[in-house]
Amino acid sequence: MSRIIEIIQRLVGDFGVDRPLLLGLAILAILPFLATVFARQGIPAIALAPRDGISRTVNLVLRLAGSVAILAIVLGLSGLHRREQMVARQGTGAHLVLLLDRSSSMDNSFADRAPSGDQEAKSVVAKRLLDDFVARRARDRIGVAAFSTSPMPVLPLTDHHEVVRAAIAAIDRPGLAFTDVGRGLALALSSFADDEDEASRAILLVSDGAALIDRKVQEALRDAVARTPVHLYWLFLRSRGAKGIFEEPPPGENTPQANPERHLHLFFQSLGVPYRAFEATSPQAVEQAIAEIDRQETRPLTYFERVPRRDLARPAFVVATVATALLLLAKLAERKLARPVPTVAAARQEPALRRAA
Amino acid sequence: MGVRLSHDWRFWLLAVALLALLAALLIPRLTLTRHARDLLVVIDVTGSMNVRDYLEGGEPVSRLTTARHAVRRLLADLPCQSRLGLGIFTERRSFLLFEPAEVCENFAAIDGAIDAIDWRMAWEGDSYVVRGVHAALAIAGSLTADLVFLTDGQEAPPLAGGALPPFEGEPGKVAGLLVGVGATEPSPIPKYNEDGREIGFYAEQDVPQENREGPPPEDAPSRAGWNPRNAPWGGEPATGTEHLSAMREDGLRRLAAQTGLGFAPLRDPASLSAAVEANTRAHPVDVLVDIAGIPASLALLALTTLFGLAALIGHRPDRLPA
Repeated sequence: MSRIIEIIQRLVGDFGVDRPLLLGLAILAILPFLATVFARQGIPAIALAPRDGISRTVNLVLRLAGSVAILAIVLGLSGLHRREQMVARQGTGAHLVLLLDRSSSMDNSFADRAPSGDQEAKSVVAKRLLDDFVARRARDRIGVAAFSTSPMPVLPLTDHHEVVRAAIAAIDRPGLAFTDVGRGLALALSSFADDEDEASRAILLVSDGAALIDRKVQEALRDAVARTPVHLYWLFLRSRGAKGIFEEPPPGENTPQANPERHLHLFFQSLGVPYRAFEATSPQAVEQAIAEIDRQETRPLTYFERVPRRDLARPAFVVATVATALLLLAKLAERKLARPVPTVAAARQEPALRRAA
Repeated sequence: MGVRLSHDWRFWLLAVALLALLAALLIPRLTLTRHARDLLVVIDVTGSMNVRDYLEGGEPVSRLTTARHAVRRLLADLPCQSRLGLGIFTERRSFLLFEPAEVCENFAAIDGAIDAIDWRMAWEGDSYVVRGVHAALAIAGSLTADLVFLTDGQEAPPLAGGALPPFEGEPGKVAGLLVGVGATEPSPIPKYNEDGREIGFYAEQDVPQENREGPPPEDAPSRAGWNPRNAPWGGEPATGTEHLSAMREDGLRRLAAQTGLGFAPLRDPASLSAAVEANTRAHPVDVLVDIAGIPASLALLALTTLFGLAALIGHRPDRLPA
């Protein structure tokens, strides 16, 4: 029994109806087998007409036509459609989580001042460039996570980039106090937990600073990275006066407390996954870094293109129209059996339609 | 010699069926106006939202879970071309997660985002609901969306003197709804340690029972141990029931009146959609509606009548031909 259901499911799996209850009307399709469109006419004996194949075929075709017409209308009315299909294609792209810093320092310009005149806030620059970036990467599955004082999942991985861009549009809203990168990164890694695809996975961290990562969180991150290998990109929006991540600080100042950004960079390097950091001190540099990431993340990817749902109501009505037209033609060709002077010879001339009647 | 078709009801029914089907194929789609909404949903994620005072399937569930379920139901009920944005509230701020996006196309992502809302996203223990609503109204105003704010109305610390902070915006400029989440009977608030594990409930002295910012209240001199310099609030620690949480309907109604929002208590998740519909502004959008079903139904009726009637009429004619 379950096998039969399985076979049926495979057959109809791609198709669906909007109003399944209306399918009950399909029982009406047996009516054409109980009656015909022709007027009943009395003949003294059925033996008068010889049995012949053409008559039988015409009879069957007309009954089927009635049945098909009714069935097609019922299917059309119940909203028959082919479901939205996912077609796997090969392309280039990645599964990407944008991990965005929403701390209040992002609201300052690169000169670390309140934005004024021609100087944009870092969050505004990030918003504009990330929006362009997402617009260019049409085939990526993108998720969004934010972090500040606490990590915040914003969007799960999705193919629908409109909502991703809506989330990016929200990043220039006033931010919160702190920058908890570690927990944010753990959250971004957990976004890939349900992602079993073999696509290239990447996390793009956009932040303008860093903080110490708790030793416990560090260990948790190492575990998570070992389980979920990702490519890590850090776009460091460096404000004027902030310490760089690539320069070796003078001895004595090289502590995680004094240089949290540099030590975060070292920590990322020690994770053992492909990692690249970009230090951007101006909007142009950010643009170059994003273009570089765009170039890097172009590994082959099986992506799914959606073929939208296709309504089949109209084709169903076309079938019903053809079947009904056939019935009407047959009806127009109907002839009375009884003639004013019935003769045996006349009865023999038109056997086909008479049997059909 | 032909049958006299004009006298044959079968012919007429067939003709009607064919004409109706042709009409179904040729009829243009009708442009109808539907009512879509632009909403900003803000969910309170403060500690008091962890109170389990709802029942779902016989299991106690937290206010936050119920609020999430209600918003997911709301999302499913919104007509296409509506837009929904999401924010969370804690401390004194409403934090926008994403701007309103179209609900049908982005359904799975928005649904997943709502489901991921958790009390762990809160960045502070404080809960200045009034300021949070004021901030959310400002955000909703800048997005030209209507506000749906789900909260239990528990202020922590409580409002100084019970008075609402002044509202700087224009009441009623942003339409929307305050949704009171929680039961009206007070329940204890679960307490979590820094790893996020539940370790019991808040006790009376764990939470501020009185707001001791600003000038002391007028009745302070009559309190025990009062000293104008050393103990302007009285010498005793404040006592009260702030460690128990119920939905503060009075406070929320006052806040709704101050800001020009509507108020609706959340009795069960299914009730949110109707309340939102009543309190937010719909804007008309054009949708194409297929009305081919009407003539097609007529065709089905004609064919069914034709074959049904023909089957019912006896198999034998009344009389043999002469």
